[in-house]
Amino acid sequence: MTTTLPPAPEATEPVSAAPAKATATTTAAPAYVRPVVRFRSSRPDLLLCGVLLCVILLVQGWNITQFPTLSDDEGTYLAQAWAVQQGEGLAHYTYWYDHPPLGWIQIAFLTWIPSLIAPETMSVASMRFAMLAVSAACAVLLYVLARRLFLPRWAAGLAMALFGLSPLSVVLQREIFLDNIAVMWMLLAFCLAASPSRHLWHHFAAGLTAAVSVLTKETMLVVLPALLVTMWRHSHRDTRKFAVTGAITACALIGLSYPLYALLNSELFPGAGHVSLIDGITYQMSRPGSGFILDEGTGSHGVLTSWLYYDTVLPVGGLAGAALLLVTVRWSVTARALAGPALVVAILAVVAMRPSGYLPAMYVIQALPFLALVLAAAVASVAHAVLRRGNWGAGQARPGLSTAPARARAARLTAAALLAVAAVGYVVPRWYDGNRAALTVDANAPYRAAAAWMQNEVDDPANTRVLVDDALWLDLVHDGFEPGTGAIWFYKADLDPAVAKTMPRGWRDLDYVVSSPTVRRDAVDLPNVKSALEHSTPVAVFGTGEDRIEIRRIAGGEL
Amino acid sequence: MLISLFVAAISVALFWMAAFTLWWQMHAWRTPETLAATRFDRPEGGVGLSFSLLLPARHEQAVLEHTVERLLESSHSNFEIIVIVGHDDPETAAVAERAAARDPVRVRVITDTHETKNKPKALNTALPHCRGDIVGVFDAEDQVHPELLAHVDHAFTSTGADVVQGGVQLINFHSSWYSLRNCLEYFFWFRSRLHLHAQKGFIPLGGNTVFVRTPVLREAGGWDPNCLAEDCDLGVRLSSAGKKVVVAYDSDMVTREETPGTLMSLLKQRTRWNQGFLQVYRKKDWKQLPGRGQRMLARYTLMTPFLQAYSGVVIPVNVAIALFLDVPVGVAIVTFLPLITAMVTFVFEIVGLHDFGKQYGLRVRAIHYVKLVVGGPFYQVLLAGAAVRAVWREQRGRNEWELTSHVGAHLTEVSGTREDARR
Repeated sequence: MTTTLPPAPEATEPVSAAPAKATATTTAAPAYVRPVVRFRSSRPDLLLCGVLLCVILLVQGWNITQFPTLSDDEGTYLAQAWAVQQGEGLAHYTYWYDHPPLGWIQIAFLTWIPSLIAPETMSVASMRFAMLAVSAACAVLLYVLARRLFLPRWAAGLAMALFGLSPLSVVLQREIFLDNIAVMWMLLAFCLAASPSRHLWHHFAAGLTAAVSVLTKETMLVVLPALLVTMWRHSHRDTRKFAVTGAITACALIGLSYPLYALLNSELFPGAGHVSLIDGITYQMSRPGSGFILDEGTGSHGVLTSWLYYDTVLPVGGLAGAALLLVTVRWSVTARALAGPALVVAILAVVAMRPSGYLPAMYVIQALPFLALVLAAAVASVAHAVLRRGNWGAGQARPGLSTAPARARAARLTAAALLAVAAVGYVVPRWYDGNRAALTVDANAPYRAAAAWMQNEVDDPANTRVLVDDALWLDLVHDGFEPGTGAIWFYKADLDPAVAKTMPRGWRDLDYVVSSPTVRRDAVDLPNVKSALEHSTPVAVFGTGEDRIEIRRIAGGEL
Repeated sequence: MLISLFVAAISVALFWMAAFTLWWQMHAWRTPETLAATRFDRPEGGVGLSFSLLLPARHEQAVLEHTVERLLESSHSNFEIIVIVGHDDPETAAVAERAAARDPVRVRVITDTHETKNKPKALNTALPHCRGDIVGVFDAEDQVHPELLAHVDHAFTSTGADVVQGGVQLINFHSSWYSLRNCLEYFFWFRSRLHLHAQKGFIPLGGNTVFVRTPVLREAGGWDPNCLAEDCDLGVRLSSAGKKVVVAYDSDMVTREETPGTLMSLLKQRTRWNQGFLQVYRKKDWKQLPGRGQRMLARYTLMTPFLQAYSGVVIPVNVAIALFLDVPVGVAIVTFLPLITAMVTFVFEIVGLHDFGKQYGLRVRAIHYVKLVVGGPFYQVLLAGAAVRAVWREQRGRNEWELTSHVGAHLTEVSGTREDARR
């Protein structure tokens, strides 16, 4: 049996001090040592977290295939994951470094076993169930993070509920978006950065997972400074320099694997006849801006309105919470502990305010858990201020006046209860309405009908060529259409030279167009798609108005 | 295909090797609690044990006197110093006798009359004369902190340890590019890695600032006179016998030393250690360790110099294959794994150098960081050279005596290769 010396009690005090004195300072100096939360062995935590998780999964999972509307992006990521599963490379068309591929590689892993058992389930609606696993992981990680940032149990539960049950979260987390997966990794990184044991390799792992998060969705890059702040605050003075540099190194080295991949493929730098990482980045950076978010009529404002349509509590309350925490950081212990997440919200808000930037609808996803966390923390701070602040004075009042503190306490409790009732009264009806839609509306009937029509009415799928958006692409592939050149993701008819080459006569080489809102919207800039729409007539129409889906047969094609 | 598979397998093996080494190297900084636990406890209450401090000296008349004087300044009240000199070394003997004459109660001189001399023989000669409860070993040029003995005493009594290993630190990092790396090696070894070994129950002890309970040492039969790394061997034998070893490191209480004076003497010193490690490995005492993990750690630690040499050669070759041969991209990515761990190690070394400067109040300049990074590959070459040299000598000279006498020959050359004989 050999061992190192037993741990000295926090031997960071100046060695020069006399032993007795030193012991005195060690016990006296930290006025308040927060208890370390051991999540796995705390039964009340597990119970609360488990119950909330069940509720969240129920709300998010119920009706998941029918609401919200299937989106082209979901289809694209899933189709790319399908290509990975099939061993056909990183995308169903030429991978052109639009996003790092790690996101859909993970989707490929998540959906691998179900797609082996039943290949036809590899379509957008049914694979949304895989996102439930991601949502569940995010929700649990958020709870753990809240506890590791020293929030009381009820506040951690509140954060988890806000995050999982806000109608905005319910809608967005159901969808197969890379952002959801990236958020999961970033939450894990925050949890590791706030590791109660302050372990060097936990911090190192935080760097690794942060890199994975960024490689899943590159926009996560802007969150890294806030992660660093969290790590800095939660590391110990004596080991900090190793922990923080280790984490940064890990993050950088894993992040560099992406350019390394491009380099090994000779696709790092632009050149004739091949895609390149630099081209991909240039494209993403030069996407036309969607205007200032607060200017009515701009694209960004539209996106903002769509978020606020689903929920105002989480975005607005979260922003206010972050502001409150950042302002009170000098006085409030909670605000200091939550500095990292509050900074995330601030950074993301500032980035969204860039007038020249492009603001996608899923942008808010990466902010959701942090909005929930800072809102819950702000609520906890307010509760603390109402119930406790200045309480010591009251407690030490002279014995003769004992009724005064009791009265003050009653007043505090009443105030807190009133605030809580008001908050619940404000939130619950709104969320009830929002979530009722998510649990009952069927927004995807036209898509299902269109998919069924294509399956049943087209006689020779193997030799039929269809322009379609990615939400239906995999369904057509399962029906026997030739992936890539038979079932054609409509953008590629104009943008991918390899596909354009297979249709020398333009629209005349095609048989059908499945015209969804996305196809009609983007056809403006795509000549082949546009002329295919113009030279076709609807043979079946599902739904009405803007959201209708038409199946159009192309006249003069080689049927 | 076959090349791909081969390259990938080697890369993965190298990756795990480097990852484990890194993991162990960073042991002390795992958590603030681990770091705090590597320090000496502050001694409380009176002294309980008596010490016999062995001080083998050979052609070291220049430094011996100062070392003895400094040891005598120790705050501990109950110790004796036994200076061991050779019968063929009258200069050192004269210095030793003079010191003994000044303080006859606490200083004694023992003469080693072996025909060929080495450190383990000298120590064994003195062992029967030790009167203290604890035997401690120092080298003739060590700078020992006056508070050290009191702390070691407390460590023995508070933990019930059989062996206490104190810290040893090379300090002159500014002397040359290799001394910079040499200092840092010591820093990571004594500051961090050795604590892991103590915790796991397998420890190659250092050559000085090592303290053993006298009965335990006698029971173990002292040091192995035929082993080139007698200190490592002692540690392996004692831990294999289940003795409890405690390691403590305080930057203000380490024994300070200097790096070898020339690159050649560093190479020779390293060759001797490597050969010693090989000998310890082949003696197979470590096979008696009870735990499988312990045996793996022992096997790995004793083989480290050779694995290091191997990886130093293979990593560049591997990367070259990835870049210039036509292998699949996935395989090429895998070949970069060992490079990644190497770079993480580099970064931690840079941070370690910063911490070293802070701990010892030394001014580390930008140029030193540059030297550290640039010198890395060259130091790797040096280590590889020493490893190859050690294997070659061990193969050629099966006769242990020849080897030992060779080292003995080095010992007779003054100052220049003096460092070669110590650790």
